[in-house]
Order: sequence, then C-alpha cells, then structure tokens
Amino acid sequence: MATLTSYGAYVPQYRAPLGEIQKFYGRPGRPRSRALATPSIDEDTLTMAFEASRDALKGERGVGAVITATQAPPFGLRKMSATLSRALRLDDGAVHIDLGANANGLLDAFRIAATLDVGPTLVVATDHLVAYRDRVADVLSAGAATAFLVDPGKTGFATLGPQARAADEVFDVWLLGREQEPRFRLEVLFDSYGKVTARAAKALAAITKRETSRYTSICPSQPHPQVLRSLGKLGARPEQIEGTSFVGDIGNVGAASVGLALCLGLDASRKGSNLLALAYGGGEAVAQEITVTAKPKGIGTREMIDGGEPIALGTYYRWTEGRQQQPH
Amino acid sequence: MTVSAIEFTRLGAPKLHLFAMKCDKCKELSPWWERSHCYKCGHDTLTEFELAGKGEITNYTVVYYPPREFLGQEPYVVGHILMDEGVTLPAPVMGVAPDAVEVGTRVAATLRRMKLGHEGDIYYSYKFVVDDDPAPKKAAPARRAAAKKPAAKTPAPRRPAARKK
Amino acid sequence: MSMRVGVLGIGKTPHKIQHEKSLKDLGVEAGRKALADAGVDPSEIQMLYVGNVGSVGFNYENSTALMAAHHLGVVPAGAVRVEAACGTGAWALHLGCVAIASGLYDTVMVLGMEKMNDLATVEGTSIIAQAADSKEEYFSGLTFPSGTALTARKYMQAYGVSEEDLAHTSVKNHFYGARNPSAHLRFECTVEEVMNSPKVADPLKLYEVCPMTDAASALVLCREDILRAQPNRPQVYVTATSMASGTWYQASDTLQDAYNLFHRPATRAYEMAGVTAKDIDVAEIYNSFAIQEPLGIEGLGFAKMGQGWKGAKDGSTWLDGKIAVNPSGGLLCKGHPLGATGATQAVDIVEQLRGTAPEGMQRADAEIGISACRGGPGSVGAIHIYQRLEG
Repeated sequence: MATLTSYGAYVPQYRAPLGEIQKFYGRPGRPRSRALATPSIDEDTLTMAFEASRDALKGERGVGAVITATQAPPFGLRKMSATLSRALRLDDGAVHIDLGANANGLLDAFRIAATLDVGPTLVVATDHLVAYRDRVADVLSAGAATAFLVDPGKTGFATLGPQARAADEVFDVWLLGREQEPRFRLEVLFDSYGKVTARAAKALAAITKRETSRYTSICPSQPHPQVLRSLGKLGARPEQIEGTSFVGDIGNVGAASVGLALCLGLDASRKGSNLLALAYGGGEAVAQEITVTAKPKGIGTREMIDGGEPIALGTYYRWTEGRQQQPH
Repeated sequence: MTVSAIEFTRLGAPKLHLFAMKCDKCKELSPWWERSHCYKCGHDTLTEFELAGKGEITNYTVVYYPPREFLGQEPYVVGHILMDEGVTLPAPVMGVAPDAVEVGTRVAATLRRMKLGHEGDIYYSYKFVVDDDPAPKKAAPARRAAAKKPAAKTPAPRRPAARKK
Repeated sequence: MSMRVGVLGIGKTPHKIQHEKSLKDLGVEAGRKALADAGVDPSEIQMLYVGNVGSVGFNYENSTALMAAHHLGVVPAGAVRVEAACGTGAWALHLGCVAIASGLYDTVMVLGMEKMNDLATVEGTSIIAQAADSKEEYFSGLTFPSGTALTARKYMQAYGVSEEDLAHTSVKNHFYGARNPSAHLRFECTVEEVMNSPKVADPLKLYEVCPMTDAASALVLCREDILRAQPNRPQVYVTATSMASGTWYQASDTLQDAYNLFHRPATRAYEMAGVTAKDIDVAEIYNSFAIQEPLGIEGLGFAKMGQGWKGAKDGSTWLDGKIAVNPSGGLLCKGHPLGATGATQAVDIVEQLRGTAPEGMQRADAEIGISACRGGPGSVGAIHIYQRLEG
C-alpha cells in the first residue's frame, strides 16, 4: 500500500486586499476571501513547487518519479516536473510526469504514484490563479504549493487508501485550447459541485464502509456552500471541515487547494485519524481516504496561512500586470 | 542579463543550482563564475562545489532604479552574502523591507524567476530571503566587523563661507 | 622614460541631453572644434582614436570610429575604436600619446563620444551594466550605482565616515558645476539638500550620482617639436600616461583594490613626468558616483586612506585649496558620457593650464595638472599628467 513519508507546503507571504481589488475593477458583492496569498512578481508555480518540495524532501535525493499537477505551468511543451527535478538535484533517471490538471490533479497524482514501481515519488500540486477581471468570476492572484513524498515500500506516517470518483459532462470551467483566461459558467459550476461531490463521497463510503460523518476531518479543495450542503446531507459536521478551511483567508489556490486542506488535516492528525480528501474540478470529483498510522511532525500550515504581509493595491497591480509577463 | 535561449541552454542546469568553484590546488572557494581562475591563488582548474544555501549579509545596498528584469521589484536589497562555506556571492534579498536588513542578517537561498528573456525563455536562479531558522549553522569564523551605523544626521552647516571666486 | 606630447588643440560639445544631435553630430562637432583650435586641416591627422562604449546598445550602431573618420574628413588616415568601459576616453588619449611617443605619427586626433539619451533610463541602466559582468554579478540585480553603493558602505564602515561627511563632495562639485557653462547640471546645493535628495541605491542619493549625458570631446596631439615651433600657442604637454587594470567582480573588490587602482599607475606616472603628488595644482578625478572622489584623492596620494573625503569639508580640495579637485564640477555635474569622459577630463585640465577655464573655476597659476579616470567595477585605472612647459 502506498504511504506518505513526508510533506511540505509553501504559501506566499504577501496578502493582497481582495475587497479593494474588486472595488477597483468594479466587481460587486462581498469578497469571498479576506485577502489573497499573492506570489511576488519573481515567483511562479515552479519556484513555489521548489520551496514546498525542498521542505518535503529534507535533502533526500533518491526519488524515482516526480509528478506535478498545476493549471498554470510556466511553459507549455516543456516539462515542469523535469525542471523541478533538476533544480532539486534529484536522480537523473527519475520519471517526470506533468499532469494537465485542475483542482483534483493532486488526487490523480496520488493514484498514479501508488501504481509506480520506481521507489519514492515526489507529488507536487502547485498553482497560481490569475486575474480574471473581465469575467464573472472573482479577481484573483492567489497561489501556493504542496508537496508529498509517496513511498510504496516504506512505512510512512499515513496510508493512501481507496479512491472513488464521480463525473458529469459539464461546461462549468474550461479553456479553449491554450487560452490564457478560463471560461466560466458559474450556474453550471454551482450546480455540479454539490451533486458530483456527494456522489463521490457516497461511492467512497460504499468502498471503505466508513460513513462521511465518521472521518476525523474532511479536506475539501473548496468549502463551497454547495459542497458543504451536500456533505451536510451525508451527515458531515462543521467540526470536520473547520480545521481544513483556508479559502476564506487566502483565496482559491487551484490545484494546490486540496493539498493545503490535506496539509492542514495532517498537521492536526494523530495516530488512527482518518482523513477524507475531496477534490472537484472539470465536472469530476475525487474522494480519497487517507489513514494516519503515526502522528506526523506538523509543518505549521495554519501559521503559513495566518501569517503574511499586506501589500498595497498598487503593488498587486504592478505584479499582476507585470513586466515579467512580457518577453523583453 | 543574458542574451538568448541558446545562451541559457548553455547555462541551464548550473543556474538552477547554487554552487561555488573549489580550487583544485589551494582548495579555496571562488564564486561560481570563476571556472578558469582561482581568485585566491590564480590556479586554472576548479571544480563545482555545492552550497547548502545559508549565509549572512556582509554588505548590502537598496536599489531604487532597477535594470529591466527587476522592474516592479524596487526597492530591493542586493547584498554580498558570505555563505557558511566561506565564499562571498552577490544576490538580491527578497521579501524584506529595506530598513529591516542589516550587516549580519542571516539569509537562506530560494529559487526565483530572474528574467523573462526576449525569446520568452524564463531564467530561474537563486535569490535569498531572510532565514528564520532559529539555529543558524556556525560558519568558519564569521568575521563580522562591528557594524558602524552612519552617524545620526546633525544639523548641516551652511556652505563654507566666502569661497573666493 | 619621459614623454612630451603636445596638445595642439582641444574641443568639446556641451555636456547635457541633446535630443536634436545624433552620435555622429556630437563627434563631428567636437572634432571640428579641436581641429579649428589646433589650426590643423583634417588631412593632417594621421590617426584617429575614437573612444565610444555603448553605441550598439544606446544607438543601434557599431563601428563608430569608421563613421567619425568619414564625417570628419580624416580618411584615408587609420581610425579605430577604443573601449575600456568608463575609462574609454582616457584609453583613447593613452593610445594617442603612445602613437606620438613612438615616433610613428606626427599628429593624431583623440575623440571621445557617447549618446546615451535616445533610450529610457531603465534601458540605459541595463546597457551600462554591460560594462561590468552583466551575466553573472549583475544577473543578481546589481547595477553600477548599486555596485558602487556597496563600496560606499564598506568605506563608511571601515573609516567611521557618515553619509553627511560624504555629502560635502557633492556640495563642492555642484558649486563649480554651477559655474561651468558646458556642464549638464548647473545648480548649487547644500549638505542638507544632498541628504534629502531621493535615494538611488542606498546609501547613494541622487545628488551623489551623475546624470546620463550626451557629449563628445576631442584633442589634437602632436610631436613636441611641432608645438614648440608655434610659441604663440599655449605650451601644454602630456608628460605622463599610465594605465592599469583591476577588479572585474564587485564581490572581490576591496578598499585596498580601490586604492591600488589609481596608486599603482599614478606612481609610474609621477616618475614618468618627474613630479610628485605635492606638485599637482589641479586634478580632474573620475567621480560618476561621489564616493569615487575620496577614493581617487587617496589613490593619487593627496590624502591618506580613509581621509580623502575631508578636503571637500575643510576646503583643501576647493579651487584655492591645497589642490583643486574637479573644479569643472566633476562627472557629478558634467555627467558621464561613457566614451567621452576621459577625453573631457583632458580637455578641462588643458584649459586650466592654458588659463582659459571659465570664470569662477580657473585655478590661479595652474602649471601641473593630473587626470584620473576609472572604469568598470574597479577594472580600469588611467592616469595622465599635463604640464605647461615654456620652452
């Protein structure tokens, strides 16, 4: 059975004032997050992945595979997993897999890692969601990275248990080819979230024989009201989700969201805790049971989220409009 | 500033790694660009020597007028970092207010985007952040000169009087 | 080994932003002024040395010596471009002196020129950075101002000197820049104004940093006997030329290196000219950043290490002090048109020795002068000594 032997996370230190940003762009409504964890102009999904991975690896270089999941790779046609691997000075012969992922990419990566036969696998979910000010969605520049070392051989501190999936063919969030800004249909999204997540959670319960309400904590990629409502119908209690919620603090961080929720869950776990990782993206929900077999050494994810230095609207604007975005 | 994707291909992996050059003869460390000249003894053969990434600031300035690739990051701190292994490197120190840094501040290396080249090639390499590790590794005698802060501003005397024309 | 290279003619353009003039226009203007001053026809020039640093970056053109040779009318004499970072103008002068001293040439022209203002500051800064290792140290976000700021901080820490102590250098330079009709910046300032000027690279502030300037300066040099044969002309000669290289990487540059950069070639130059530091009446010392003036004063032997900043405060380096340092306003006020600067320093010293410097900046009875130019992070040291030698 595949186990987790180590984990790490990186949350940028800067906090952008989402309320002011929305006002500036003329977006109505109450901001969904207090602030955004905004990567600095010289950071991106690769540099954040590097930080999280370095923390998880703690100097280890004997890694057989690197799998990265992100919606915002620095390049198309170049493997981020390979550059990350080189930056970390990992073994030359490691397998490098880039997943063209959405918010459930991390769990897809766990599924793949569990089947590989190359020794320890570094699984990284890193993301940077960028401003969509012309669209109906929130204006954002929020990012983070999470890294997990998965080992089929060793006995880690947690076992990666069974997964269950449910999917509908929907147009909720999509890109046409290699467009920059996603297209949205929020009505479809809100509808799909709840429905599909519930089906996946139910399907998992059937496999594991553990009711949703009996997990120590639930680690959802998005504690969206629809998701909470569906989970509530399955008997989930607020206490299961409180400790793993962060979107209201630092915003949606895409593929890294379920990773951060999981890190929060692991930090607070004990021997015998059962975590339910729940990720939704592109019409598909993935649910996975993770069982803690030894209390892990926490990495202080909550402190990373609660900490942070406010930046002014002008700075946020400079970094997102950013000269770095234009080749020069 | 680097010129092109060809040049960065040539530099690629070394720029992703933090290393110094160790002289085959005198064993002293020189910065990573000294591939053919030890600047301690002048010997012509040096070998790559990996650095752990921790060091302290021995000198610094704050840049208000950046070159193109640092536009948007000013004001930023550029320091001379004495790495724990005993070699001094120049590097930016990010994420710290200019008045919060001083000679002696411990720093740790991190990977950052240095530049988006004109061919759309992104160069990654090392910058530093303040190290919040409570137990810094003890370096070979960290020669830290007593940091003489500039004297407080006293009221400036007017221009010396009666300069003969 | 002694040398007497005659300075037959000098000429320079105004030093400021000149959008209406191209690099070529500047070069031709200075060259023609020098030829007119020398009373020499272009066809008499046997070799042209053009100092020009960044034309590929600033102006998208290369081979500017060949361009100048054509437009000045010195074709078919040889023409070559000289580049040694900010020491370029002095290097062009050195080669001109060597050409004469070798006996191979009778009359040559030295032309330093630069046009920096066709691009925005941020572009200019990046191009100037190419005169240091732009790929390695400067990859880390250093620029010339910030690299020099590191030296300033080292100096302040080593000798217990405050920012205010250093501010006096800018006050002195600006006093004379205000009196220099061809200077870029022509305003006086107080210590307080220097201290309050916007920061450029901590601890360097705006009034301690030179502007980007468009200019050209030229000299016509000749064999001693040619100038001697025209006793009605001012008998000013270049009597020493001494060049050195130094630190290429800021990370390895020490205060001792900064001192040596001038001290070593200056020692040879004094010997060559048969004079000592005490004999110098007037000096033009490279100071694109204010801290370089104290360092230069020390390297030339006018003050002990760590003491060079004092003269601007106590008056000993003002016009009528022990030695007049930068009575032109220095690079702080004249600006630093990279390729022209070393040549401008020479033109300004020659004017001092001729007694034709503008009112308010003429050193009385100046007979022996020195120009000290530097380049790169600490990579070029160039010393020239000039003397008025009546026959």
